[in-house]
Amino acid sequence: MEIEEKPYRLVLSIAKWIIPLVFLIFSILMILNTPDYQETAYQVKGWFGDSSSYEGKSQKNIDKLAQKSRRNTASLESRIDKLKPVKPFIVVNTAENRFSLRNAAGDTIKTGMCSTGKNELLISGTKRIVFKTPKGIFTVRNKQQSRPWIKPDWAFIEDGLPIPSARSSERIDYATLGDYALEIGNGYMLHGTLYQRFLGLPVTHGCVRLGDKDLELIYNTLSKGSKVFIY
Amino acid sequence: MTMKNKLVFWIVTAVLGVSFMYILTSTVVLPVFTKSVLPKVVVHTTEEKDKNAKPAKNADDSAEPSNGTNSKESVDKLIELKKKEFLAQSRLALATEDSNYLVLDLSSKLAIIELKGVVLHEAKIIQLTLSNSIKHHNSEVLTNWASEPFVVKNIEATIPKIVFFEKIAPKDTLEANKMAQEPKIIRQGDVLVVMDFNRNLRLIVSQSELPDPEGLKAITELRESYSKQEVSRSLDAITHLNREPIKPQIEIVVSKSDATILYKSLPLNPRMILKF
Repeated sequence: MEIEEKPYRLVLSIAKWIIPLVFLIFSILMILNTPDYQETAYQVKGWFGDSSSYEGKSQKNIDKLAQKSRRNTASLESRIDKLKPVKPFIVVNTAENRFSLRNAAGDTIKTGMCSTGKNELLISGTKRIVFKTPKGIFTVRNKQQSRPWIKPDWAFIEDGLPIPSARSSERIDYATLGDYALEIGNGYMLHGTLYQRFLGLPVTHGCVRLGDKDLELIYNTLSKGSKVFIY
Repeated sequence: MTMKNKLVFWIVTAVLGVSFMYILTSTVVLPVFTKSVLPKVVVHTTEEKDKNAKPAKNADDSAEPSNGTNSKESVDKLIELKKKEFLAQSRLALATEDSNYLVLDLSSKLAIIELKGVVLHEAKIIQLTLSNSIKHHNSEVLTNWASEPFVVKNIEATIPKIVFFEKIAPKDTLEANKMAQEPKIIRQGDVLVVMDFNRNLRLIVSQSELPDPEGLKAITELRESYSKQEVSRSLDAITHLNREPIKPQIEIVVSKSDATILYKSLPLNPRMILKF
């Protein structure tokens, strides 16, 4: 009789330890998966719903609040509209090297490829020159046709040439900027390019290069004071 | 079982049982049932924010006639109006600044980058996952929670914000000609962005395209690091009962190019408006 009972007792004594073991496993699981359990608990909580703080108010009060809210929204929206450009503007996407020319209402007139800054750091002795297109909102300050480019020092450093004097004729370049240029401040421009095959790629020293036809349209659409959004 | 064994069994069971109940209470029951998961914001009305603001004359003033009883429909309508008002308030607050910001439109499934109220980029959300803590709150609580722009507290991504190439200036034209080359085409890395905002909100932006092995490794590493943080927060919740361990989470899946643009074009400490 005792021989038959032994395995049964052994199983029973082991089985009893399953209870604390389950507690231990669940405790560990709880720590590892707390967000999941919380999420489930929220689902359960959600079934019972929540009451609104407006529920105790009279219909008259609700109507008043609604009226006030409508007025406020209309006022706020009109103030947002006042911040928007009043003239046609251009949006430049530096991540994809694309532009979108839009009218004053914000509707797209033309989209296309452009080239923006190559994100390069040119090191020359102690000098560090960054070639990057700035992001933000800019204003067209000046528009020019067949504008010559007055080469800055970095253009010579990059070509391994000696830097000429500030007024040297070597600095004047009639071809690089193309037919039109729109200045947006700090030496940055929207202009044409000799390297049309690179449109869509980040290759510039910070300016925005455009294809000939797109540049002509942009030049004719935007005026002094037009906004340039670069992101 | 001997008496000694029985005693050990009951002590161990009791200790583990109490521990389990304590962990359950501190990590799930207390945070969910006694605290608001959506931290309350002090909702400033338009008048409080800008006392000089003149109400628009053309505003739609047509309120429904009062019938003396407060119907659920009119309360729902009021909450909808409040939602619009808070949204306009947030947009105005951010549009007056010079940085771009993110508008997450959950109803239209769009992630929008705006600057001065102008839409610069629209990314279509392919898949949207909201945590239960957001889904199961009533509209009024959600409206109040999202009434002001969210500000990023921490942001991590599998891709760099900006990649700079260093180039040593050539000594002469010969060296310059040798260096002159076709433009470098940068391989766009696979994207996972985790943004932790104030008011406990976490936004995860991931790409719809399958990542390559290198990208998958980076994505897995980032996800694992956040899982470890969750465990550590759970442990914190166990030791400090007053902690708020829940993070309402929004996960959006967009195309790889949109995910890259969203991350790269936003400023270092982006702000976000939630529209739902």
